[in-house]
Amino acid sequence: MGLLRTIGRRLALGLLTLFLLSIVVFLGTQVLPGNPGRAILGPLADARAVAALNEQLGANRPPVEIYLDWMGNMLQGDLGQSYTFRQPVAPFIGAALVNSLKLVAVIFVMVVPLGIGAGVIAALNAGKTVDRIVSIASLSLTVIPEFVSSIVLILVFAVFLRWLPLTASWPPGSGVLVQIQHLILPALPLVIVLFGYIARMARSGTIEALSADYTRTAILKGLPWRTVLNRHVLRNALLPTITVIATQAGYALGGLVVVETLFRYQGIGNLVLTAAKGKDFAMLQAGVLTIGAFFILVTLIADTLVVMLNPRLRAGLKR
Amino acid sequence: MSRLPNTTAFKILERLRQDRSDLENNAIDQLLTGRIDRRAFLRHGSRLGLSAALMSSALGTVGLMGLRPARAQGAPGATIRVAQITPSGAINPVTVADQGGLLPLQIVGDFLVMDGPDLVLRPMLATEWTPNEDGTIWTFKLREGVKFHDGRTMSADDVVASIKRLADPANGSNALSAFKGVLSPEGIRKVDDLTVEFSLEAPNGNFPYYVSTDNYNAIIVPADTDPAAFEGSMIATGPFKRESYTPKVGATYVRNEDYWGGPALPSRIELNFYDDLQPQVLGLLGGQIDVIQQVNVQGARPLLDNPAAKILRLKANTHRQVHMKTQSGPFADKRIREAMALTIDRQKLVDGLFQGMASVGNDSPFAPVFPSTDTTVPQRTRDIDKAKALMAEAGVSTVDTTLTTMQMQELPTLATLLKNFGAEIGININLKIEDVGAYYGDAVPGKSDWLDSEFGITDYGHRGTPNVFLSAPLLSTGTWNSANFSNPTYDQLVADYIAAVDLETQTEIAGKIQRLLLDETPIIFPYFYDYLSATGPTVSGVETTAMGQIFLNQASK
Repeated sequence: MGLLRTIGRRLALGLLTLFLLSIVVFLGTQVLPGNPGRAILGPLADARAVAALNEQLGANRPPVEIYLDWMGNMLQGDLGQSYTFRQPVAPFIGAALVNSLKLVAVIFVMVVPLGIGAGVIAALNAGKTVDRIVSIASLSLTVIPEFVSSIVLILVFAVFLRWLPLTASWPPGSGVLVQIQHLILPALPLVIVLFGYIARMARSGTIEALSADYTRTAILKGLPWRTVLNRHVLRNALLPTITVIATQAGYALGGLVVVETLFRYQGIGNLVLTAAKGKDFAMLQAGVLTIGAFFILVTLIADTLVVMLNPRLRAGLKR
Repeated sequence: MSRLPNTTAFKILERLRQDRSDLENNAIDQLLTGRIDRRAFLRHGSRLGLSAALMSSALGTVGLMGLRPARAQGAPGATIRVAQITPSGAINPVTVADQGGLLPLQIVGDFLVMDGPDLVLRPMLATEWTPNEDGTIWTFKLREGVKFHDGRTMSADDVVASIKRLADPANGSNALSAFKGVLSPEGIRKVDDLTVEFSLEAPNGNFPYYVSTDNYNAIIVPADTDPAAFEGSMIATGPFKRESYTPKVGATYVRNEDYWGGPALPSRIELNFYDDLQPQVLGLLGGQIDVIQQVNVQGARPLLDNPAAKILRLKANTHRQVHMKTQSGPFADKRIREAMALTIDRQKLVDGLFQGMASVGNDSPFAPVFPSTDTTVPQRTRDIDKAKALMAEAGVSTVDTTLTTMQMQELPTLATLLKNFGAEIGININLKIEDVGAYYGDAVPGKSDWLDSEFGITDYGHRGTPNVFLSAPLLSTGTWNSANFSNPTYDQLVADYIAAVDLETQTEIAGKIQRLLLDETPIIFPYFYDYLSATGPTVSGVETTAMGQIFLNQASK
């Protein structure tokens, strides 16, 4: 019961956050110069043409009216119409979200085992060469910007070796394997960045758990080393790592703009960026709120997981 | 030098001249008497509607080569993969305004006239065009038997509707800026099923350019087209038909077997949209792209002199304008404006910024590529002594100013170089480099750094005629007059230039305008740079225009 109530409270808080976020985005669009007609026709267009286009698009109404209209439609499940594409926003958001989630999934399938594995191995060999290698790698890889690693990876694997496709967009109707093949290269720059965070977290968590009383007790009880590691060390060591992974998943969804641009991938980060440039109000709102909702959701899932895995917190909720 | 032909040739020429208007015969006479060269004759003759066959005969008669023969044919059936910048919005023939949007539109569509790579006009959906005596009415004859992709036959009604839509202020049309003061919806009239007449608001000797590929919105679509829904069907008359279009991703097209010009060589075209030049360059090097719509020297260094790529280079009049406010601030004194212009080493800019792929500018919009440019006007060159003398004459030893421009291609580098040049004579320049959106602002005085800045650099795209460059930034009533230039003599000269139909008069007025602008220097035109595209090493038959169009009818790989 306690867990459900906590989740319910967090969801309500999440909805409130999203509402506030929509107001912030609305205010943000008011501060930026320009209007949709000007964005579509360019700086040199005739003022009469810009006014006529804004009229056609309904973009010349008072901003508050546009916002309230959008909010009203939103509550009825209609995300609105894009100024730029003159089509409903929902299919764009849906397709971009699915694409981004696929990329995020490939990233995490690669980076989670790698990061946790390297962190745990480093912790078990604390102070030895393996530990030093993992520590230095995790520190230095994190600071390589995506645009640098992306270009190097493209040059090596796509231009010179031609092992992997250069763009993340696969031909229409491609199967899962072809899609994954297209996603490996774009996923790597993020894997490189995230590897360090996860490995460092896993390492410090494991070292802490290894020196904890319960581990010593378990060893003294004469349990096999494998059991001690799985049941006592890792279970405790990886709790903070889960939280880190969740926040990084949220970051990856919204922050993939560089990778999406370089690899020609139609993800949600790219969509929001274009919408902001084009003053495409409905698209911008829907895109930002989708990223926000995803962030709130993964954090909630991570918190729930941590509670479920941590006996002390579980007990606390029951009281 | 006269090129008068022998008697037989003269007879042939006499036959050619029959039934030609005075203007057309005047063009032929100018060629014969050596007053214009082959290139100028082709450009000028095509503008007046002389047919390619007639111009080739005339050139042959005086011993010059005619139009180039058709390109050797490559293997049919290729899929040509084109990379381009992502269109900024829907593919709507009325509103498309960006380099990204014009190509998806052009692949399916034809124009009345094509402004070729050499600025020679060629017939497309119109086979002939002729002005009346004073250039106020232009009559276009349409090609017979042209079919739209849905099987219907194109007629004058479709042409009238297509162009009317663009000229109507109620439609949010991107072409409105071009048609302003030239053509209103009322001036467009069907004469018969294959004849359309344009009555202009003022005489215009270059009108065919306004309905050519130069005006990239002017593709001919069926009269009943809903422009907002065009993206879903893309019915037009072009050599390729829409197969699929995915916003922000790309498009595919298949060959139109019923094309009036005969089926194209490629069986399929794939357009791929990119947000940046860099991945396009990598795509070409990685063999996943065959053509890049446009590359620039700054972004495509790995392609220059690389056997893995071919660079297609066209002389163009794309340029930068460095404006100086003529009515306020330090540049209100024309001696200081001239002094600033004299500090610039133009050849250094051409070599350094464009690896030589540009032409030196002479502080007027008359680029070397325009046939009417008066080449006898002396070229302004760097002269620090004269610049210092002008500063002294103006009674100043130092001047402080701010140069505003935007983060775009070579502009920040150009700004830095101008700062260094100015420093040599005591013009101290602070740089203000902004985001593109912030620079243009609302594009009206008072709300735009572009129009409000005392000293600024703006980018200008290629045009088939100098008309827009002469009007919008320099007329006292010009909407892009960032230099606040106001000169009644200039205004009258521009009206005369635009009205002039024959090349001799155009060149004569051009010379006066060039001299006046050199004297006043409201705007520095440092260079005109070439239009560059790139293809894979085995790709051939790709024809581009400096507007950004790519004609792929004869492409193979």
